[in-house]
Parts: sequence; C-alpha cells; structure tokens
Amino acid sequence: MRVARPLCFYFMVQPMAENKLTNLGFGLGLRTQHYHSILETSPNIDWFEVISENYMVRGGKPLHFLDRIRAEYPMVMHGVSLSIGSSTALDKDYLRDLRLLADRIQPAWISDHLCWTGVHGQNIHDLLPLPYTEETASHVAERVSQVQDALGRRILLENVSSYASYIDSTMSEWEFISLLCEKTDCLLLLDVNNIYVSSYNHNFDPKEFINGVPAHRVQQIHLAGHHNHGDYIIDTHDAPVIDPVWDLYGYALARLGPVSTMIERDDHIPELEELVVELDRARNIAARAFHPGSFKTGLAA
Amino acid sequence: MSQLAQLQDDFQAYLLGTESSSVFSGSIIDDAKVGAARRLGIYYDAYRLRLIETLTNAFPKLFVLLGDDLFDSTARSYIDAYPSPYRNLRWFGDALAEHLLETIPQHPIASELADFEWNLALAFDAEDAPVLQLSDLAAIPAEDWAELSFAFQPSIKTLHMRWNTVQFWKALEAEESPPAPEQHSTFETWLIWRQDMTPRFRSLEAMEEIALNAAIKGASFGDICETLGHQLEKVQDLEYEAEEEATVKAAQYLATWLESGMIAGIQA
Repeated sequence: MRVARPLCFYFMVQPMAENKLTNLGFGLGLRTQHYHSILETSPNIDWFEVISENYMVRGGKPLHFLDRIRAEYPMVMHGVSLSIGSSTALDKDYLRDLRLLADRIQPAWISDHLCWTGVHGQNIHDLLPLPYTEETASHVAERVSQVQDALGRRILLENVSSYASYIDSTMSEWEFISLLCEKTDCLLLLDVNNIYVSSYNHNFDPKEFINGVPAHRVQQIHLAGHHNHGDYIIDTHDAPVIDPVWDLYGYALARLGPVSTMIERDDHIPELEELVVELDRARNIAARAFHPGSFKTGLAA
Repeated sequence: MSQLAQLQDDFQAYLLGTESSSVFSGSIIDDAKVGAARRLGIYYDAYRLRLIETLTNAFPKLFVLLGDDLFDSTARSYIDAYPSPYRNLRWFGDALAEHLLETIPQHPIASELADFEWNLALAFDAEDAPVLQLSDLAAIPAEDWAELSFAFQPSIKTLHMRWNTVQFWKALEAEESPPAPEQHSTFETWLIWRQDMTPRFRSLEAMEEIALNAAIKGASFGDICETLGHQLEKVQDLEYEAEEEATVKAAQYLATWLESGMIAGIQA
C-alpha cells in the first residue's frame, strides 16, 4: 500500500525550524591527513564530522587528535555500523562504546544510516538498502527508540546510495522516510549526493525525493562526489561534488531553509585548502538562497 | 520468519558466498538499464574489494612480500574463512597471520610478517597511560628501591621471530630491496611498544626479556635483581660477582625502559 500524497503535503507546510538542533554552518569530514593543517592553520571550517568507529579505539594518535581538534571546533559523530534496519538484535556493546565516545567529545548530534549492514552478528561493512514496507518502517522505528534511549538523545538517519531495489518494496524511499518520521521522532541527514546517485540508478526525479521528505526533520546535509559508470553511479566520495548535485543542493535549501552542511571526502583526499574552497561553494549557494544582497557584495553566508 | 529477516538472510548469504545469486536475485527488481544480476554484483564485488583494501592498508609490507596476485587470492580466502564480526574495519585482519600459516605454509615468513604488522598496529592505538620520568624516581630513598615495582605501558608486546622478518620489514620501510627469507637457528625476541604516539620496536636479548617479563608481572626491583642473579649463576662460577652484575644489569634495563617511555608508573 502506498502512503497517501497528502501526508507529504502535511510535512511540507510544517514550520521549517521546528524540532531542530543548532545550525552549525558549513563543515568537513575530519580525516587523518588533515590533523596537522587544521591545528596549525585554523581553517575557515565551522565544524567537523567524525566517523564514530574510527575513534572507538583505546588510545594513541586517533583520540589525541580528536580531543585537540574538538577543543577548537564543534563536532558531530557519524557512524557506519549501527545497522538500524537489521532484523537481528542491536549490538549493545557497540551502543555502549558509541555512548562512551559521545560522553568524551560531546557532539552536537549523532547520525548513522537508514540501512542495514549485516545480520546474526556479522558485518558486511556496506550500507545495504532496506525494503520500503510498513513492516520495515515499524521495525526501524522500534529500534530508533532503543538507540535513542541508549544514547540519551535523538539520532539522525541518513538516506543511502543504492544500486538495487526490492520487489517487496511497496513505497518510494521518500515515502518510507516520511512514514518512519511519523512513527518516531528521529531527525534526518539528507545526503543530496546519495539522492542524485539513487535517482540515476533507479530512474526517479531527485526533486521529488527532496519534496517528499519532512523538511522540519532535516538537521544536516551531506555533499560528496561519485563515480559514473555510464549506466549506473557508484557513491565513491573520491572526487569533487558535481554541478548537478550542487544544483540539487540549491533546490534542497530553497525547500528546507538553512541546514548544517558538510562535504565528505573519503578517498583521493586532497589538501585541506582544496576542500575549504569546495566548501565555500556551499556557502555561496546558501548565501544566494538566503541573503541575495550580501552575496552580491562578496560576503559568504 | 518475517519478510525482512528472510530477505536479509538471503542477501547476506549471497554476499558471503554461501548461497548462489539464483536464490536471491528473484528479490531484486530486474530492469533493462542495469539488470538484477549486475545490480547484485555491485554489492558482491564491493564487499570483497572493501575488505581487500582494508587488508592491503593494514598489511602493506605483506602486500609487497606476496605480490598482487598471491595477496589478492589470500585476502579473498581470508574474507571467506573469517567474515567480519567487527563494527570497526580496523579489527578485520586479526586472524590473518594464522590464516597464512594454514594457506601458504611454504612461506612461513609471511605469517610472521603479518603478525609483526598487526602488532605494530595494536601498539598504535593501544590504551593510553602516563609516562614515568626519571625525575619521578629521584625522590625515592635508596633503601626503598628493592621493594619498588612498576606498571608498564599497555602497548608493550614481545614477539618471538623464527625468520629475518623484521630485517625484511625494515628494508621495505627504507625502500631498499629486502633480504631473502632466512631462518634463525632458534628465535629472536622483538619488543614492540608505543612512545610519543608512534609504535616502536627493537630486539631484546634473552636476559632483558627475562627481566622485562618479571617486571611486567609485578616483580620488585629486588626480585628482578635476584632473578637475573640466578640466570647469571648458571653461566658464572662466583655467586658474589653474579649478584653484583645482576644489580648493574637490572639498573641498566630500568634506565632503558624509563628513557623509552615504557614505564607508566610505580606500583604501590
């Protein structure tokens, strides 16, 4: 059964800022290659997103630099192994370690992906898509409550790039996200690149996706590059954001209002300055969307 | 079993290679653009490529030793034999040394090299601890020294190497051509620890290994001297000289451990 269209409309007319956490501005993913230049040059980056699992270690360099950079910048934690959509039990040890890391760095928020990464205690280390059904939405909603109880805070869930879709699915991804948001109070991390990648791979209009998610729940936006293989796209995070994704970002901001935005780069990682320049493009798009006058005078955001 | 559970069990079995794609491909929407089989193949390949890349990054010298093809086939057999139970990819590879012994026993240095690289990585992010300074010891009255015992850095590990594995590692690190694999007559002991956030290693002579093992187990400075004295007696006739030499050696070892940041504190 498909979710009725008026439901999406209901979310569209909600006040944009309702329920949201702080707007952190424009950030980057924290990568080991940049530790020293961050500390030495204090670049124009408002905040950093850290991959939670990379810092769920006992000591040494990772935690040393994490603490030093946290002392200078706001941070958010972004996980890849929560597996919120798995049919087998949540990993309590993982949640405990995640909470310990959060206690250490006091992130503005914690996010992970709306996907599953393995069942029966095994980890595929990939962000596997979920079937978009009522059953899945109820199951994920129940687990969101468990995770939020364990972490003592609301979490953000991110839409993933996908390469396959299931016969079992009874609704679109954005309808599924909307349904999930009806059943639970989690926030959303909207990955605009992932929307683009999935729309290319599954032949849908990416704007329809953006129009279809509850705007007042979107707390953060991800941007990234990808690799186009011709008939499909792989989400590689190894290249600059492409123009159509920037356009889609502008479209998303027009609908969502100002949203904390960051760029992910996980491979072929360039010098920090290059990413700061790329981040300035996000600032300029936001400035154009919200302060057209100040943009003309050259002020970023 | 719920529809979701069945789908995930089937998908995971396909990815792990325990079920053929025919069992699961019917669950995927087929299309003219890419097709169900290729769509599934993207996930199947990505699973293996991601883990192979993880192993390549964790075992860079082993990669050079084995070369592209043997490393790739070894990594693939490891991925099949040891699917990851870890939330963090950092821990994937913990049984690779063991796997190499089973799969390529004709190259025993490969397993030792994997073990060495894995233990360097363990030292890299081992638990932090304070570092005891020489000045911290200065305040202790001479008469209390015999009773002193020490806490050591959690990063400390000793490895027994039967091959010239570390020489091989060092040559590759210096971008020099590595020596041919060579077996020692017995074994060499190598010490790994972390100092100033960097994993370090050096060889340990037998006497220092005995002293360090005793010290790590909580032996007092006096006990360490006594243990070393007994060892020296085995090779020397005069008991008095052995005792004196043991004390000098123990003091030298202690000074070395302090200088290299291996001692975390004095135990009560």
